[in-house]
Amino acid sequence: MKSKRFQVLSERPVNQDGFVAEWPEVGLVAMSGPNDPKPSIRIERGIVVELDGKKREEFDFIDTFIADYAINLEKAEEAMSIDSNEFARMLVDINVPREKIIPLSTAMTPAKLCDVVKDMNVVELMMALQKMRARKTPSNQCHVTNLKDNPVQIAADAAEAALRGFDEQETTVGIVRYAPFNALGLLVGAQTGRGGILTQCSVEEATELEMGMRGLTCYAETVSVYGTEPVFVDGDDTPFSKAFLASAYASRGLKMRFTSGTGSEVQMGYAEGKSMLYLEARCIFVTKGAGSQGLQNGSISCIGVPGGVPSGIRAVLAENLFTTMMDMEVASGNDQTFSHSDIRRTARTLMQMLPGTDFIFSGYSATPNYDNMFAGSNFDAEDFDDYNVLQRDLKVDGGLRPVSEDEVVAIRNKAARAIQVVFEGLGLPAITDQEVEAATYAHGSNDMPDRNVVEDLRAADDMMKRGITGIDIVKALSKGGFDDVAQSVLNMLKQRVSGDYLHTSAIIDKDWKIVSAVNDLNDYQGPGTGYRMSDARWEEIKAIPRAIRPEDVN
Amino acid sequence: MNQQLIEQIVKEVMSSMGTVSEETSKTDSMTVKVDAQKDYPLGEKRPELIKTPTNKDLDQITLQGVIDGSVTSEDVRIAPETLELQAQVAESMRRKPLAQNFRRAAELIAVPDERILEIYNALRPYRSTKEELLAIAEELEGKFNAKMNAKLVREAADVYEKRDRLKKD
Repeated sequence: MKSKRFQVLSERPVNQDGFVAEWPEVGLVAMSGPNDPKPSIRIERGIVVELDGKKREEFDFIDTFIADYAINLEKAEEAMSIDSNEFARMLVDINVPREKIIPLSTAMTPAKLCDVVKDMNVVELMMALQKMRARKTPSNQCHVTNLKDNPVQIAADAAEAALRGFDEQETTVGIVRYAPFNALGLLVGAQTGRGGILTQCSVEEATELEMGMRGLTCYAETVSVYGTEPVFVDGDDTPFSKAFLASAYASRGLKMRFTSGTGSEVQMGYAEGKSMLYLEARCIFVTKGAGSQGLQNGSISCIGVPGGVPSGIRAVLAENLFTTMMDMEVASGNDQTFSHSDIRRTARTLMQMLPGTDFIFSGYSATPNYDNMFAGSNFDAEDFDDYNVLQRDLKVDGGLRPVSEDEVVAIRNKAARAIQVVFEGLGLPAITDQEVEAATYAHGSNDMPDRNVVEDLRAADDMMKRGITGIDIVKALSKGGFDDVAQSVLNMLKQRVSGDYLHTSAIIDKDWKIVSAVNDLNDYQGPGTGYRMSDARWEEIKAIPRAIRPEDVN
Repeated sequence: MNQQLIEQIVKEVMSSMGTVSEETSKTDSMTVKVDAQKDYPLGEKRPELIKTPTNKDLDQITLQGVIDGSVTSEDVRIAPETLELQAQVAESMRRKPLAQNFRRAAELIAVPDERILEIYNALRPYRSTKEELLAIAEELEGKFNAKMNAKLVREAADVYEKRDRLKKD
């Protein structure tokens, strides 16, 4: 006889997920691995001669870079001598402000950070994250992509996403050669939705830099770093090439953050028997040393790996915390689909949503799951109302807001018409009124007519060859009658003149004010301090359209 | 011809010679010491300190200017002096590596886009011999006065040699 109970359970979504027992020799262990090094540092005449149990002559290129660039050596001996459990308590203690922690946590080593969090539970990690997040005001980022790389749909989805509250938007491609169109659609759509949204297009490093230089994007994020030397080399980079790239972006006045995440080294087969969190700590130090203002981490595209081992989702929370302890912006993952279970994916997101991070998602999918070209996201367009209700239930600011169908339809239509005149102005293949209409009411690319892909790709290549820049986009918008959007695109280009948004955790609000961890530094010190949503913001979150009001009842 | 125009011409000539008026920018940045609490965001609180590399003020970057052609893509770039000020802001926030990055970036403004991409690719693993990397360091230092970047490339050359990440014959 088979148990009917077990039959029912076996059919539950969670049992379609993959799980694996710990196997430390290959790196399948989330944190506190048996082969992780013990924390240590030895400094002679200003030079690190020993790092986490390794002598300088044994250093690989990651150790060398961390030792020479990433650690605040002035305080290193003091910081390393603090008892790890004592420091963990300081992280959780509301009476110890962030400004007391940072000078010490930035003077520690990767193994020391791992030692500090080893006895912290997820509630303590969340309390620490709430305090250590760099920007006081939390925010959110979305993905805007689609299966067909349809630029009209990208523009419409970007405008809607802006209206819904995302301060940053990221696109990528199905077909690589579509990248300039996707970047263009996202830029125009986002600026139509709300002036000041930061947009990026995730592609190969050199192409991404070129599009940024041209003014087709406002920032970059796909600057990947890894925790072991063989994987770094497989990724075709070194800490030195990445540090140069960081400066290249800043030299063009472009905001940039690095990307890393637990599990990438195991997935690429060279974890050197170390825990995922220890290897991720090394990535975070490389990022710091390269002078990046921030990091996208939280396993990202490897979430299935920590998601499959015990305490993996806790390790992901710990890696977000590390980034903030290094005084950097954190765009905290929650981006790739990792579970079939709605319960699991919600629990995974609460780890960042409740404490708040600089960007709770580094890619909430503002499209249906099937259109997400980053292999889905943990939350998708279908979950917008669920997310709004979570904010309302818990009185938590997750960065989004309820919207009405009328305003969404109106803004999608405006964005579709704006990209239509830009295509016309730049001599790109025409966008028809039928496409504008379809994008206005579409849910996903299934609702969009097909475009002539061959013709589009030829035009996209040609657009890059012709040297089209952001200034040409401004002109085309103005000529087409969209002076307000033209002004917003120009304002984004102006950001790279003043460079204020190059700083840690910078976003731009609806009034074109820079909000960053310089002028909006997190000052959390317990109840009543730090970020507290305004009355106006709470009214906005409360006002979900379906709530019955007393005046509706007779 | 007014003083401002003369200055602009001199600056452009010097920058096209690849020797960006280092002296001038150093002096400027020495005299101006900005503070994160008082002066940031610079574009909002100290707009008078911000100039484009073409010597325009922020409020000269207008939609009308784009339409009549007086504002071009050359005008929406950052100037080395501005990155120095932003480095000072980062320093006053005690973010030293970020400040260092802004200063390396200030040096790279004079390096053309294509050359930036080439140098980046040359720094990737197995792309360059030690001699090739040292030549890039020489170029950065000699042609662009990019001393910090030259130092980074020389360090990379040493580390790649030690770790066997140089180009194989």
